[in-house]
Amino acid sequence: MEQAQALIILGKAIGAGIAMIGALGGGIGIGLAVSGAVQAMGRNPDHTPTIQTNMILGVAFAEAVAIYALVVALIILFVLQ
Amino acid sequence: MSPLDNLGINPGFLLVQIIAFIVLYTLLTRFIYDPLVNVLRERRARIAKGLEDAEAAAKARMNAENEAEKIRADARAEASKIIEEARQRAEQVGKDVEAAARQEAEKIRADARAAAAAERDAQLAGLRDQVVNIAVALSQRLIGGTLDAKRQKELVKDFFAKVPAEAKSLSGSVEVVSAMPLEDAEQQLVKKELGVDDVTFTVDPNILGGLVIRAGDRVVDGSVRSNLNKLASSLN
Amino acid sequence: MRKGFWDGKRRYVALLMLIAGIFVALRVPPVVPIIQLPGEKYPPGTIELPFGLGVMTNTLMMSIIVWILLVILALYVRSRRPKSGAEVPRGGFYNLFEMVFEGLYGFVSGLAPERYFRPIFGMFMTIFLIVLLSNWAELLPGIDSVGFIEPHYEIVVDEETGEAQHVPTDGWEIYPAFLGGWALNGQCDWVSPEAEAQADADAFASAEQAAEEARAEAELELKQAGGHGEEATEAAAEESGHGEEATASTIDPDARAEEAFREAEAAYVAQKQARRDRGCYTGVAQIAWSDLDAKNFSDTTVEDDHAATEDEVAADAEHGETTDDLAAAGEEPSEENGGEEEEFHVDPNDPEQRKAWPFVVLPYIRSPSTDLNMTLALALSAMAMVQVIGFQALGLGYLRKFFAFENLFKSPLGAIDVFVGLLELIGEFAKVLSFAFRLLGNIFAGSILLFVMSFLVTVMPWPFFMLEFFVGIIQALVFALLTAIFMSLATVSHHHDDEHGEHAEEGAH
Repeated sequence: MEQAQALIILGKAIGAGIAMIGALGGGIGIGLAVSGAVQAMGRNPDHTPTIQTNMILGVAFAEAVAIYALVVALIILFVLQ
Repeated sequence: MSPLDNLGINPGFLLVQIIAFIVLYTLLTRFIYDPLVNVLRERRARIAKGLEDAEAAAKARMNAENEAEKIRADARAEASKIIEEARQRAEQVGKDVEAAARQEAEKIRADARAAAAAERDAQLAGLRDQVVNIAVALSQRLIGGTLDAKRQKELVKDFFAKVPAEAKSLSGSVEVVSAMPLEDAEQQLVKKELGVDDVTFTVDPNILGGLVIRAGDRVVDGSVRSNLNKLASSLN
Repeated sequence: MRKGFWDGKRRYVALLMLIAGIFVALRVPPVVPIIQLPGEKYPPGTIELPFGLGVMTNTLMMSIIVWILLVILALYVRSRRPKSGAEVPRGGFYNLFEMVFEGLYGFVSGLAPERYFRPIFGMFMTIFLIVLLSNWAELLPGIDSVGFIEPHYEIVVDEETGEAQHVPTDGWEIYPAFLGGWALNGQCDWVSPEAEAQADADAFASAEQAAEEARAEAELELKQAGGHGEEATEAAAEESGHGEEATASTIDPDARAEEAFREAEAAYVAQKQARRDRGCYTGVAQIAWSDLDAKNFSDTTVEDDHAATEDEVAADAEHGETTDDLAAAGEEPSEENGGEEEEFHVDPNDPEQRKAWPFVVLPYIRSPSTDLNMTLALALSAMAMVQVIGFQALGLGYLRKFFAFENLFKSPLGAIDVFVGLLELIGEFAKVLSFAFRLLGNIFAGSILLFVMSFLVTVMPWPFFMLEFFVGIIQALVFALLTAIFMSLATVSHHHDDEHGEHAEEGAH
């Protein structure tokens, strides 16, 4: 019984860790988006509001993927019985 | 337990949340968004209008400034014109004054010259008698005889007031130059001989004797000097 | 600016609060709470919801507070707002609100078609305000650490009898903190009496075993040393040369056994004492060890245990506990097995019950954004509104976006259009989940980050609070902005011969 419990915890921890690898893509995506937006704003400061809006949107979409990974990890950790 | 329970999804709570959202949406739209958006729009319109007004005012001011500039330019032109006129008038006045002065001066000079001439004539008139007397005395000594005094005076008169023959054809205004001032009788005589009334008499001692008569561009030289010059040239 | 009473004094207030925070943190060390995704249910008997909604949860409680705050905001703005564009805002909080409002107004008017501006902006602002307040709720001090101190148990239904039973799970022991309140003791994770009795028994068994081994060893030594004794004749015959009466008499197996037993006992008791020194109960130790008396071992430790227990009881009595409570100790909780949850109650004032259950903090309120009900409700409302505005703008033509069959037989690419349309249809449902889980994931992870950091650094997890402050704004903005954009896009037709679509497109640019 004790060992079964430990195995479950082990499995959950490993699973959550693997799930969080998905955050990698989101991080890279956000980095690329912000990099491009900052360059654009530097070259074209007059269009900063438009660029910012679109940047936030892009970042939100990129982040969504990472958040899915996070949610999966959270579900594995706290919801799975 | 179902997966939905594990995720904590409770249809009742979900419904409560949705209803609350709808209620809040209507409430906030009514109490905040609509009035505030209206206020914002009105304010933006006012600001835009204010900007427009300011622009119009700026334009009006620009026009006024242009107008003023134009008026100033006109005034400047007017002023320079007036100044020019004044200068011209002043110049004119100056010229007039100068001319008057010159005329005055000329007149003064002429008067002075006339006075000097009259003086000289008077002196020469005084001198004439002496010259006649000296000439008579000289001739008595030279000839040794005595000429009739009256006859001598006739000669002397002749010497000074003999009108050349060519001069009798002259007409118009005539200037008669003599070496000594002519007496009135002599002048009348000259006039009579010339047949011309308009005669001016001037004195020039340099001609030594005789008369030089000028009428326009014609000159009849009956002076002793020119005779002497002729003699000298024929002697040579 | 008017010189107010607080000018220049706020820093001292902040400093005092910091010092007070340090003292509170020392008096009541933070405990990592039990993490669970569903909103924690209020203990039975506190707040029951009508219409069969069951028990109040702490996320719903915070949601209600957010709604009340928004209603107050609406009334406040209504009373303070300028009546016309000619008036200038009156300063104070209203000015701040109007500044934010005007910024968001500019934001949305840049992307929403003018014709549908009102619903789009209404959705945008409502979602923004609700989500923003919900997100910022996680920043409230004590939001994860102040709450009901409740026993932690699972309800296990016996498959044969159908009887539900409350089975204690993991948790902490509690101790009286201040103002008559209880606090979790983060040093002491709860050990069930059975487990402790088991541990005592195990320790007793191992001590006995040690005693037996010591006895056996001593007897062996005795045999080797003297060879006398009725059971060691062969050994005595072998080693008759160096048997010594004096040595043999000094080896007393019983004494050696008792010594070994005492040693093991002392080690175990020291272990328990260390636990008690941290402020934990040592449970039923003395009962188990009093069995030693039956073994004719003289007991030296039981006195200490009794003394400590009496101290504890006295300490408990100091904190407003009366002997009446002790006398009127409720029914034995472990025997309670009724299906009615309302009847289940654990009274922490009763030492017996207090020791019998693991306790956890059940926060009074929790950020609603960490509850899927709230995020899913907003996501559903938002996407429903997207469909509504789509139909409003394009009529039934809106459906052509999803069911693009018209080009199927006209053009070779018609099949692709159909496929894309179906993908969009699926996308509409995916957007709901995307909305719900994006907000939930961000804020749930944020609140876990905050209390874990509060547990680790205790006094100054401020940088993380700053981080979560901005995450709260950004997530609210993203949720609201995406809703506004989806709504704007829904008013635009794919087909350019549609006059509505062209109009909307005009407005969008």
